[in-house]
Order: sequence, then structure tokens, then C-alpha cells
Amino acid sequence: MAVTQLPRPPEVYKLPQYKYVDAVRWLPPISALDRHAVLALFDSDGGSSTVEIHSLLNPNPDASSTAKSLTTLAAWTPPSRVSSLKTTNLGHRPFIAVSTVDGSVHVLAAQNAHSLVEMGAAPRVHAGPVSCIDLVEGGAECVSVGEDGRVNLVSLGDSGVSSFRFFDSNGLVSYSAARWASPNEFATGGLGFGLQWWDRRKPGGPVSQFKCNWTQGRASGIVHSIDIHPSRKHTCLAGGSSGTIFAWDLRWQQQPIILSGVVMGDGSKHSVSDSSEVWEVQYDRDVKSSNASNFSSSSRMLPVMMCSEDGILAVVEEDEEPVELLAEPCAINSFDIDKQNPSDVICSLEWESVAILTRP
Amino acid sequence: MPEPDGGELGPLSSSPTPPPSYPLRHSLRSPLSPRVSLCWCRGNSLRVSLFSQPASEVEFGGEVVELKLNDGGDGEISNAQWRRIAYGSVSPFAMLQSRRNSFSSLSKINSSPYHLEWWEYVMEYSKDINSLLGNPKSSKNSLIEDPKTFVQKSEEPTCLKAAWELMEMFYADKLSQPWLPERLVDWLADYDSLFARAYGTVYSKLLNFQNELINLQVIEDDPRYWEVIASALAVGWLEIVVKLLRLHGSYQLDQLSNREAWEKWRGQINKLDCSAFWIQCHHVQTREGLRNLLQIMLGNMSSLSAATSHWLELYISHFLYVRPFTAGLESMYSLAQRCIQLKPMSNSHKLMGVMIGILGENTEVVLAESSKEFGPWMAAHAIELLTAGSDEAEALLREERYSLGEISLEELHRLVYAQVLSSHALSWQIAPVYLSSCLKQGMGLLEILLYRQPVPHKELLLKNLEICRLYELDDISSNIMKMAGVHHWKHGRKGSGVYWLQQAQDEFRLNKIAQLLFGSVGKSISDESFKQWEGLIELLHSESKAAGGLEFLLKYRDFKRLLQQIGDGKNDVAAQQAVESLMLLMKNPSTPQRFWLPLLNDSLKLLNWQDRPLLNVSQTNLLLNKLQELSIARLRPHFVKPDFPMEALNSVRLSLATNLGRAILEE
Repeated sequence: MAVTQLPRPPEVYKLPQYKYVDAVRWLPPISALDRHAVLALFDSDGGSSTVEIHSLLNPNPDASSTAKSLTTLAAWTPPSRVSSLKTTNLGHRPFIAVSTVDGSVHVLAAQNAHSLVEMGAAPRVHAGPVSCIDLVEGGAECVSVGEDGRVNLVSLGDSGVSSFRFFDSNGLVSYSAARWASPNEFATGGLGFGLQWWDRRKPGGPVSQFKCNWTQGRASGIVHSIDIHPSRKHTCLAGGSSGTIFAWDLRWQQQPIILSGVVMGDGSKHSVSDSSEVWEVQYDRDVKSSNASNFSSSSRMLPVMMCSEDGILAVVEEDEEPVELLAEPCAINSFDIDKQNPSDVICSLEWESVAILTRP
Repeated sequence: MPEPDGGELGPLSSSPTPPPSYPLRHSLRSPLSPRVSLCWCRGNSLRVSLFSQPASEVEFGGEVVELKLNDGGDGEISNAQWRRIAYGSVSPFAMLQSRRNSFSSLSKINSSPYHLEWWEYVMEYSKDINSLLGNPKSSKNSLIEDPKTFVQKSEEPTCLKAAWELMEMFYADKLSQPWLPERLVDWLADYDSLFARAYGTVYSKLLNFQNELINLQVIEDDPRYWEVIASALAVGWLEIVVKLLRLHGSYQLDQLSNREAWEKWRGQINKLDCSAFWIQCHHVQTREGLRNLLQIMLGNMSSLSAATSHWLELYISHFLYVRPFTAGLESMYSLAQRCIQLKPMSNSHKLMGVMIGILGENTEVVLAESSKEFGPWMAAHAIELLTAGSDEAEALLREERYSLGEISLEELHRLVYAQVLSSHALSWQIAPVYLSSCLKQGMGLLEILLYRQPVPHKELLLKNLEICRLYELDDISSNIMKMAGVHHWKHGRKGSGVYWLQQAQDEFRLNKIAQLLFGSVGKSISDESFKQWEGLIELLHSESKAAGGLEFLLKYRDFKRLLQQIGDGKNDVAAQQAVESLMLLMKNPSTPQRFWLPLLNDSLKLLNWQDRPLLNVSQTNLLLNKLQELSIARLRPHFVKPDFPMEALNSVRLSLATNLGRAILEE
């Protein structure tokens, strides 16, 4: 007998921080049993910022309740407020890249969960805030972009952190998102839903630009976040204003694949968030759904998780109704899917708290 | 120090580190009398600026200090906790407002018995709010009970929660109306500890005794043992009385197991009052203690007064033993007044004003007291309780008052609360929810709030614009985008500047900045710097919205691309397209005059096309006219000389003339 199972809702734990959460990421595992997250917090009473390693605990392991709590283990004080935060694993050691609103980029290493050490900094590589940084997978190299129109490469070597200005548009173009596609290629995004593809072997400008006249004047906006799947490096996923999520296939440059947003206009597709800002997009790594096999060969888009200003955390798939995981009365500013445990998601809420979701 | 009008001088926070002071440089030389300037800055901070005559050359002439003021009150709830309460109250408040709107329209049509009464919605709201104010008294019963612990020390309750529950009980919860004395008994059991500092309480007596318990050998010998039992009995904490009696030396297991046993025991004692028990009992303390307990249960005034610490406890004991059938607020109020006479308050407590206001049925006093003692959050949210189901209170709080500038008390308190929210960088985003519920002045203040937010920070700007969209404030949204555009432009972020001005459809400013932009655009086709402009031009392309004068850049770029495509000079089709593009550019009034010559110079290749003349007679004439116009313009006094060689002009003129000849022949 066929039984249609309703998807079980995820377990959600909301953990108030009493400080504004500027960014949140899972930390790659330090030891087998512990789980840690990195939080960038801003204390509005004292006007100070911190980057903290928190351990995720189950306070009553023997009790039936699976309530979770966060405990601060280590902290580091950035010179100013954090604008972007990324983590990676390098030689079995978690690395954290931090950018600030004062235009500096810092590389931190977690020796263990109780020590957070700054390996070096590149001060004032941007005039004004750094919009976004990205750490290359398994390496200590960062790309940083800003509204000032600079694209910097910041790398950690034996002699500390060095930075190199890869491109400078002198403010003619502003960048708001960046993501590595391979150790040599990366994509950036910015105003007017523009996307640029760069190759560090070919300096002097983007090697490819996405023609962004597809909105046909209905709406235009800013790209806030980009993701590129390791198995599909030719596709650049982007999320931005007006609830827009689209993907640009380098091999098919005329039209984007639109997953959500008002720009479609024809009303036949699904819009996950009603013309609100999509702050972050990530490919959903938790593909244990029934149609997982569909993705391996076909050209179908992989499922995408997104969070938005109107408080939605959802999984969006091409030509399907989005699945809402969380609907909050306040904005969800960022989220991160645990690479080791993709059913777990951590997200930062506008109202000074963090939410942790465990999907069944 | 209390002021005559009741205001108080607030204390400065005594933080261990002094507030930072910033030097203030000024170059005023004339004799200067020292001045002090005070103004509010972010949140609860006061900015104090001191101007004085610099004593020497090296000294600064002044100083600025930002002082953080205390919240006032006893600091029961920290700023961060207040914010958490503020965040949490948004949804219940907004939900209740939307229900009110649908409820009033619904009740006009039909009063169906299947719908919930209004007070039931308010109760839902009240429960949601109450859950934010702290955990309910947890009766955590561990499996193994310590016989020596009769008072559970749980999380310290807050006066805020106590006040909220009091108002809920008296105003919103219609089911509790017949049971108000009983509910008050339970309420005091939860919150008696709050009065400990101000008056001393039964609770603190019990706690002190519990702490000394380990030092006592024969508990029933200690007179305090009987005292605390009497006190606990007087305020009706029977479980504690039972636990205490179990500690008595003559207690045997199973003698007192639960409340029923207690009732039985009480009955027995009542019977025993005149029996031989008193003769048999040889332990004098037990005899006297038990006699006192009996007196309490029989409602002996002096016993009750001795057993209780403050008037509220005495009041509760009256409900239990003297006037168990007190009903109606009027009789409750007169009883309260009697108890206050018997046990006058030595000092004030923040809950007392609210309590007396409620019992005295004076809504305005309750509102004023809760606003004074618990701040604007309380006033804005408690009004919903006060008006629940009482037409009189509703009329009082919703009536527009001349003295308040034609707004109601309800609106006043919401506006005040919204102002508090607006002053903080983390809470301003929730102020619109409250402002939008204020019909008279809310929208005006909302507009001011939105204009006041800083534009440089992109995320903040977008959050601001989202609020504009939510409340359909398109004009404000467009003004904010203009502000953002100009800000970015001024700070050298040309792309962002153009983007936001385009979003705002501000043609006027776009035209203005276009003129500035053209000055720095690379003019020659071979100019490498033009590559840098590609990104910006791409941005213009994405908008079907008018780009103002910047449209020229787009056409200019297309023209340049076509010229590049021609390459070696064999591509006839591309060349023809380039000519069309050139003509469009030259005819377009938005093409700046200073680009005419560079454009023509770049087009030399087209003018001297090998196979055939690409431009017809009229086209060539038009270009010649433009060239003539340019030559005349040179003679004008304010002409800006282009950085272009004179030979270029001549070669263009020559090529045009040649082309004209060829075109005439062709036609």
C-alpha cells in the first residue's frame, strides 16, 4: 500500500544571544565528538565586536529532551564590526577568514576549540566595508570584494598574510558577493543582478560577464550571495533582491535559470519570498530526498536553500513548490549548512538570536 | 533627591571604567566664557560637550563625553533582556491589532456565539506576553525530596511579571472574576519574595529559618519554628506547613501525607480544642504553638497580624480566615484599606501603586503607575489588558484629548514606546509596527524614522526600503534611494550612485552626474581606460528605466563595439550598422558636444570606406553641419577647448567633403 508521507518538520532550537549576530558558520570538526559553530557578535551596549567559537551542547544527554545550547569556548576581538565570515579545513585544522566594515581581512586558526589565534591580517585592503569574502576550499586563500570596486586576493603563507589587488574598478562597479569555483576561478556579483567570472591567470578584468538585461525592466536588484557546486563548476547560483534566485550557466549565457523571484512575471513559477531580499543561498547538501537520483545525470538544478529578509528559510527546487523550514517574524540574515552533517542548519536571526535546525 | 514635581535625578551608571572623553579642537581666540552643551545621542546616552578657553597652546579647547544613563528603577531587567521582551512582543501585539480590526467589522454583522469573545483573544495575547517575562514558577520535584527543604528556591521572579499577571487577573481573564481572592492568594505565593527587601516577608522568614535548620537539635523547642508555621499558615501555604510539621519530633511516618490528611488533622484539632488533648500535651512549646495555629485558623486578628509581615500578607490571611466570602472589588478595596491601616507601608514598592489602583478601580492610576514603575513597554502593552471587555476603560483610554494634542492615551503611550524603540540601532526596525497602529500621528513619525536611518550601510538601507515597501511609502522609498545614490556618488562609488539614482528614477540627478561622468570617460576608441567603464555601462543596460543623460554611454559603447567588429575594413554589414549607430548618436540631443569631434575622428574609417560611400548626401550634410556648429562654438567666450589635436578637425572635414562628393556621384 502506498503511503504518502508528509515531510516531518525540522526540530528548531532558538538560542538568544543578547547581542546582534553579524555572521554565523559551522566550524569544521576539531575532534570526532564535538560540534562547534563560529559566531560574529556585536554588543550594541558596549559597542564592541567579537568572533567566538561556541560548542553545541546537549545539556541533558540522558533526558528525553534534545534541547541544545551554545557555550562560548574561545573569542577573538576584531578591530571593527564583522561584515563576512567563512571557514575551511586546512590540514585537519579549521581556519576562519573574517572581514570587517573597516576594510580589513583577517585569517584565524583554531588550534583547538579553546584557542582562536590570528595568523595575520591585511588591513585596509578596501576603502570602506568589505562586502564579502570567500575562502578557497581546503586552502588559505581568500577573495575579498567591496563596494569600492576592488577585488583582492588575500593569502596566508609562511611569512603571514599577504594581499594582492587583483582588480580595481575605482568605484565604477561595486561588488557585493564572491565565491571560488576552483583554485583559479571565482565569481563575483553586484548591482543590477550582474555576475562576473574571473580567472586569476587572466588579470585585467572579468573573463566573462553575465548579460543582465533579462529582467526586462520589471525589477532589478543586487546579488547578495553566490554559491557554486563542486560537481557543477560551470553553474553560478545567485540570490538577491526581490526574492530572486537564479543560476547562470557559463555554457548557456543568454538566459538564466530562474528558481524564484518576481522577475519571471508570467506567474507560472514559484516565488519563495514575496519580493524580499534573499540574503544567502547555498546548495542544499542534504539530498536524501526521493528524487536524489534525478540530479546526478540530468541538467536539472540541484535543490537550493535560501534565507530572506522576511524571515523565511526554505529549500527551493526548479519547477516545484518551495519547502519552508522556518518562518520567523524577523529577518534571517545568514545561514550555514553543516558539511559533515548536512541535515543540520544554523542561522542568524535579526532579533539577536541564533536558530539551529535539525532535519529528520 | 526627589524633585518637587515628583521627577528624580537619575543616577549615572557607576561603571568601573570612566566614559571615554574626546578632545574638541576649536580655534576661537577671543575671550571665551566656558560653556556646556547637552544633547541626547544614541540610545540612552547623553552627550556633554564642554567649551572653554585653552589654557595653553598645546591644550584642546574643549571636551566631549558620552554618558550612559541608567534605565532608572532597580535595574531588575537589563537592556539586552528588555530588547528580547521587545522583540517577542511584536508578534502578539500585531496579531491582536489585526484581530481587533477583523473583530470589530465582524461583530457589526453578526454576534455569533461560535466566535470567541474579545477577552479570549486578549487572554491569548496576555499569555504570549507573559511567557516572555520569565519562566513560570517551576515546581521541580526531584524524585528524592530533601525533608529539610520546605521552601524551593527557584529563579527570582520579576516585579514586571508580577504586575502583568495582576492586571491579567483583574482585567482580561473574565473566568477569574468570581475567584479574585483565591487568585490573589496564589499570586502572593508566587511573588511574596519580591517584597522581601522593602518590608520583610513570610517568604524571607521561612528562608532564614530553613538556612538555620541544620543547627537545630530539637526543632520544636525553638520558638521560631512555631512562628514560621504560624506565618505560613496565615498566608495559606499549606504544603509548607505540612512539611514543617513533619519535622516535629513526635511526627511518625504516614501521619501527614497529603492535603487531605491535613484537612483531617485540622478537623481533629478543632475537635480537640476543648478536649483532653491540651492536658495530655506536656510539651509547652507544642501546646502554645498549636493553640496559636488554631487562633489563626479561627481568624484572630492579633494572631494574624503577628504572623504576617506586610499589609498584603495580612490581606491574604483575611481572605483565608476572616472573610472567606469576600466578593466584588468594592469590598476587596475597603478590606485592603483596613489592612493598610493595620500594617502601614514603611516604604514604597513599585507593585503597590498598581495594586491599589486596581483595587480602587481607577484605570488611569493603574496606567500611570505601570508607566512610571515599569516604563513605556509596559504602558503600551498593558492598555490592551485594561481595555479588554470594559467599555468604560475603552472610552477613557481611546478618547481623543485636547490636552494631548487630539490623540488618545492609548496612542500617546504607543508613540512614546515607539520613540524609545526608534532611538536604538537594534530596535528601530520594530517601531513601525507600533507607529502604524497610531492613527493620528503614527505615519508622520514613521516617515521621520525612516528618513533618519543612515544610508551608507547597504544591508541597513535595504531593510529600510523593505519597511517602506511594507507600508506602501513609495515616495519615501524613492527619496531614500536618492539620498543613497548621492551619498555613494560623493564617496566615489560611481556605480552604486548611478544604480540607486536609477532605482529612484531620478532623471534630474542622473543628467547632472552624466555631465560629470563624460568628463572622465575615455574618448578615443583605442583608449584602454574605456574598458573600465564596461561594468558601469552594463549596469545601465539592465534597466529599461530611463538612464537620463547616461543613455549616451550605452549607445557610445555599442558604436565602439561595431567599429571594433569592422576590424580590417572588409565587413560591409558591420560598417553599415556602425554608420546607423553614428547617425543616431549625432542626432541625439543627449550626446554631449565635446564628443562630436572624437566620434567623427573615430569614424574616419567609415568616411573613407573603400568600396562605396557609406553615408548618403543628407547624412553627410548633417555631419558637416555639426562640424560647422563646433567651429562656431569655438569662437564663443566660454568654450572649453577639447584636448584634441587641430589636425583631427581638418582630416575629418576633408574626409566628409570627399564622402559628400562620392555620395553625390553615386546618387
